[in-house]
Amino acid sequence: MASNALTALPSRDAFRDPVLLLPIAVAAGLAVGWLGVHEHVAGTRIAADLAVSWALVAASLVVLERPRWRRARWLLAATPFALLGADLEWASSHALWTFGFLLEGLWAAFLVQLVVTFPEGRPWSPSARIAVLAAYILTLGGQLVGGLVAPNTRDLLSVTSQPSVADAIDRAQAIAGVGVALGVLFLVLQRVRALGRPARRAQAPLLLAAAVTALAGLAWLGWVITTDARMPSLETIARAVALTIPVGIVVGIGWSRLRRPQASELVVELRSETEHTMRERLSRALGDPTLVVAYRLGDGRYVDAAGRPVELPQRADRAVTAVTAKGEEIAALVHDPALLDEPALVESVRATAALVLENERLAAEVRSQLAQVRASRGRIVAAADAERRRIERNLHDGAQQRLVTLSVALGLEASRADAATAGVLSRAQDEVEQAIGELRELARGIHPTLLRDEGLTAAVKALARRAPLPVTVQSNVRDRLPDPVELAAYFVASEALTNVVKHATASEASVRLEHEAATLRVTVTDDGVGGARLTPESGLAGLRDRLEALDATLSIESEAGSGTNVCAAFPCGS
Amino acid sequence: MLIVDDHQPFRAVARELLENAGYIVTGEAADAAEALAAVAAHAPDAVLLDVQLPDRDGFAVAMELAAADGPMVVLISSRDADDYGRRVATCGARGFIPKSKLSAAAVALLLE
Repeated sequence: MASNALTALPSRDAFRDPVLLLPIAVAAGLAVGWLGVHEHVAGTRIAADLAVSWALVAASLVVLERPRWRRARWLLAATPFALLGADLEWASSHALWTFGFLLEGLWAAFLVQLVVTFPEGRPWSPSARIAVLAAYILTLGGQLVGGLVAPNTRDLLSVTSQPSVADAIDRAQAIAGVGVALGVLFLVLQRVRALGRPARRAQAPLLLAAAVTALAGLAWLGWVITTDARMPSLETIARAVALTIPVGIVVGIGWSRLRRPQASELVVELRSETEHTMRERLSRALGDPTLVVAYRLGDGRYVDAAGRPVELPQRADRAVTAVTAKGEEIAALVHDPALLDEPALVESVRATAALVLENERLAAEVRSQLAQVRASRGRIVAAADAERRRIERNLHDGAQQRLVTLSVALGLEASRADAATAGVLSRAQDEVEQAIGELRELARGIHPTLLRDEGLTAAVKALARRAPLPVTVQSNVRDRLPDPVELAAYFVASEALTNVVKHATASEASVRLEHEAATLRVTVTDDGVGGARLTPESGLAGLRDRLEALDATLSIESEAGSGTNVCAAFPCGS
Repeated sequence: MLIVDDHQPFRAVARELLENAGYIVTGEAADAAEALAAVAAHAPDAVLLDVQLPDRDGFAVAMELAAADGPMVVLISSRDADDYGRRVATCGARGFIPKSKLSAAAVALLLE
């Protein structure tokens, strides 16, 4: 379940090739620099190209400490060679010129790919994929077609010299380049918004550099399109601005390293008794507000601190790190995968957390068991309710139906019998009527039909009408509530009114049903003698399990001489 | 008159009670489907309709008959009208008689 990302530290082999890059890149830079001086190219231009190239190679070495940035590293290493290769256009050799001409702009396409696939080498989105494709077609493709018609005598590819066509291709490339630069700007803005905090910390400097570089490119291309002329100094500036990209990458890495807490600070932070939860403290230590701590229970399930079940995600945008103590997994940290780029940080948090998470885990286990017991109690009450409903239905369909038929038959016979027989039959009918009435009351007490069909307000109003004293009902409950809540609230009203009738010697009573702020409140008040207490034998006490299963509370105020006030409050969703 | 109730002994007693009082009972039905078919076949003037039927509830049948300008409906049930709330008043029936109080006089009163 838990990822093994922490073991994926870079192996020694991975260091080898990129380190060799450094002398090769330096040598290539020096060679191209010598060529530029020899061909009287402006010194600033030579300096800009060498600075950008060497900075990119340096960045590709710094990126080594981030295993997940492997693909970015290869682009970082390849870009300087494309850049220096394009400078071969300075050479008088036809072959070198043609080679340089073909590579012209390829380095920019590499940078576009580097930025919009950063850091894992996968395009951020389908539009990012299109931007990369467009950049390659525009540079490599454009130069290839341009080469066929270029008027330059050094061009080995030239099949026909068409200066006007070559100009048109140049122009089209510049205009399409504006499109790609705008696209990159848009993608960068989108990316900044979408990134989680740990990832933003490491990637923001690069994204800022990419935006600045795209703007510089736009300025240069805009100049080319509007004036139809090249201005070498502006081109040099635009190239120099690209230096911000390797710098941005290095700054990002340095930045996230700087705010990495030391192990000793972590111990203090995580073990201190603050009002913050363990999750909050770990989240702060890791700089990841999305962190979830999932405690592993003995049976292999995961729960949060409150004991609620947690599913470990199996998605690319969440990473899971196991915390172990004495060789046993005690918790899993679910976090932003960008944290995997800082294995040392995660490792130190993991090691420190193991010391303190064990207690939290035991507490979570107890809470989880409590939640299970509560759920089980809810199921028992629900099963009992279903059984009550079935019994009510059976009484109605069976015994009651037969007694009713008997009563009507007795009435019919009485109407056509002689006076003496009619008297006997009538009395028999009265008895049967009495039995039907009692049976009906019994059925109502077991499960009121009106509650099921019409809801709480209608059922409580019917209850009030049947009471032997005046009972007013006030209710703002219009919607149907969950069955167990309605039934429990009805029983509270019913039992409280029964008590009023039996014990309170009241002249009137009232029932108030209020549903607001996800709470249903049932209040039954009378003006009787008061002094009522919740004894174990009372009907209200019998409702305790039912109320506790719903997390409901019951309170009784009953000063001697000032009536009784019974109030039950039920949490109920909306 | 049509008698609709799923309890056969009750239908028999009700039929005798009504016929004794001079009503002509055109048929009996044990559920909502049979009831609607019998209404279509015999066009009775009135229906004595039990609320709890095995297939649909009596209120729905009463509403359907009222919407089609059909026969007058007298609802009967072994429960009280109180157990059904507003539905008794809104289903389009002429009235409600608890089954145990069923008599020719009560029916006549509602059908007047």
